[in-house]
Amino acid sequence: MTTAAPALQVTDLAAAYAEGPPALRGVTFSAEPGQAVAVLGPNGGGKTTLFRALLGELPAVAGSVRFDGAPAYVPQTERSRLDFPVSALDVALMGAYARTPWYRRIAAADRERARAALARVGLGDRAAARFGTLSGGQRQRVLVARALVQDARLLLLDEPFAGVDRTSEEAIMGILDELRAEGRVLLIATHDIEQARRWDRVLCLHGEQIAYGPPASTLTTDVLEGTYGAEIVLLEGGERCVAVQHHHH
Amino acid sequence: MRWLSDPLSAPFMQRAVLAIVLLAVAGGLLGTWIVLRRLAFFAHAVGSATFPGLVVAGPWGLAAPVAALGAGLGFAALLARLTRGGATSSDSATGLLLTGALALGAILASDVYQAGAGVDRLLFGTLLGLGDGDLWLAGAVAVAAVAATCALTRTWLATGFDPAGAPALGVRAQRGDWILLALLAVTVVAMLPAVGALLVSTLLVVPAATARLVTASLGALLATSVALAAAEGFGGLLLAYHLDLPPGPAIAIVGGGCFALAAIASAPRLRLRLRRGTGVTA
Repeated sequence: MTTAAPALQVTDLAAAYAEGPPALRGVTFSAEPGQAVAVLGPNGGGKTTLFRALLGELPAVAGSVRFDGAPAYVPQTERSRLDFPVSALDVALMGAYARTPWYRRIAAADRERARAALARVGLGDRAAARFGTLSGGQRQRVLVARALVQDARLLLLDEPFAGVDRTSEEAIMGILDELRAEGRVLLIATHDIEQARRWDRVLCLHGEQIAYGPPASTLTTDVLEGTYGAEIVLLEGGERCVAVQHHHH
Repeated sequence: MRWLSDPLSAPFMQRAVLAIVLLAVAGGLLGTWIVLRRLAFFAHAVGSATFPGLVVAGPWGLAAPVAALGAGLGFAALLARLTRGGATSSDSATGLLLTGALALGAILASDVYQAGAGVDRLLFGTLLGLGDGDLWLAGAVAVAAVAATCALTRTWLATGFDPAGAPALGVRAQRGDWILLALLAVTVVAMLPAVGALLVSTLLVVPAATARLVTASLGALLATSVALAAAEGFGGLLLAYHLDLPPGPAIAIVGGGCFALAAIASAPRLRLRLRRGTGVTA
C-alpha cells in the first residue's frame, strides 16, 4: 500500500467534447492514497469535464491520467430517475454489475456486500424501500453505498452534499473519512468554498487549472478571483468567502 | 361456454390467438423498457412511419416487412438529423415526421398506387388474415425479446435509472441503447400485420403503461405487461368476433379500458407518487 508513486497522477490533461475546443486544459495534480481532493469551481468551470475524462468517457486530447483500476462515480441524486421501479438494494447492487457477466446472476457475496454497504451508510433497514420514496440525503447515501459495492480505489463524488439533510451529511462525512482511512483517493466536486476547506487538497478549476494544494495556502483571494472571476464576493470583517452562482438558462 | 368455444374452433381465430400471444411476449417485455425510458411516442411514430413503406411494398415488389423496416429506419435517421444541434426538440421533430409519413402514405395510396380498401388493413391490421410468415416473424421477435431481456436487463436498468452514472458502473450503455432501438423497430414491423401502422402502441405501450400503475418491482412489471398484453389481445379478439368489429381497434379499446380501470384503482398511490415527485424536482 505504501508505494512511492502517487495513487493518482494527472499530467497536463486537456479534455474536449466532440470537435469543440478543450472544455478543460492544463490540469496537473497528484494525490496520495487516503487523500481527499476538493474540486472547486463555478458551474461550467470544468468539474464535470474532469470527472468524465477520469472516467474515460471523454478522450484526453492532451496529457495523461495514471491510476490503477477503474474509478467509481457518485452522481448527484437529482440526475437519477425517481420513478424507476428500483429499491435501495437494487441500486446498491448496481455496484456489482461490472464484475457480473451478462449470463450470470449477481453473486450471493455481492448481495451481502450491497446489504452491508447500505448498513454502513445507515440505511440497513431501508434496503427494500423504493429509491424514489427516500429523502434526497438518503438517496445520496444509497449512491455512496453503490460506490462502496464497486470497491474502487478512486471515488469521484459530484456535489455529494448538495441538497442533503444534516443527518445524511454527517453520515456521508463519516463514510468519506473511513474511505480515506482505507487509503482510497476521493475527488469531491463542489462550488462551495467552505466545503472545499474541509479536505486535504483543493483543485481550483475555471476552464483550466487555477491552483492546486492544501486549502489553507491555496484558497487565496487571487486564486478565488481566478476561479470565480467577477462572481466572487468577499465579506468584510471575516475570512469567509461566498461564491455567488449565476445560473444561465 | 359457446361464446368461448365457438370462436376458438375456427382456424383463423386459432392463428390470431397464437399471434397475439407471441406478440404479447415481445410487446410486454420491450414495452416495459419503452415506457420506462419514455420512448412511447417514439415507438408510436416508428409504427406510423412504416405506412408509406407498406404502401409501396406491393407495387415495388418488396416484401412488406422489408419495406416497413426501411421506412422505419429512414424515419429514425431523419429524426437524428433533425434533432442534431438541438434547434428542434425531439418530440417536435417526431410529431413532424409522423405527420409527414402519414401524409406521404395517404398520397401514395390514393393518388399514385390506388391502394383503395387495402389502406385500412395497412393502418389497422388484419389479425384474422395472418400468413405463416407473419407468425414466424412474431415468434422470432418473441424469442429475441426474451433473450434480450435476460441478457440486458441490468444494462437497460442502470442506463435508464441514471444515464450519467451508468458507464462508470461498467455498463455498455450505448450498445444497450442500440440493441433496444433495433429490437423496437423489428417488433413494430412484426406487429404491423396484426394491428397496423397506427395501432402498434396497443400492444407495445398500453399494457406496460397499465402494468406500471399497479406494480412496484421490475420483475412484476415485466410479467404483468406480458400477461396484460395477452389478455387484452385475447379479450379484444373475442369482442371483435362476437360484435363483428375489426380486431385491432377492438384490442385497442379493451387496452384503453384496462388502463382506465387501473388508473382508478391505483389513484391514491398515484397521488402519493405525484406529491413525492413535486417535492424533489425544482
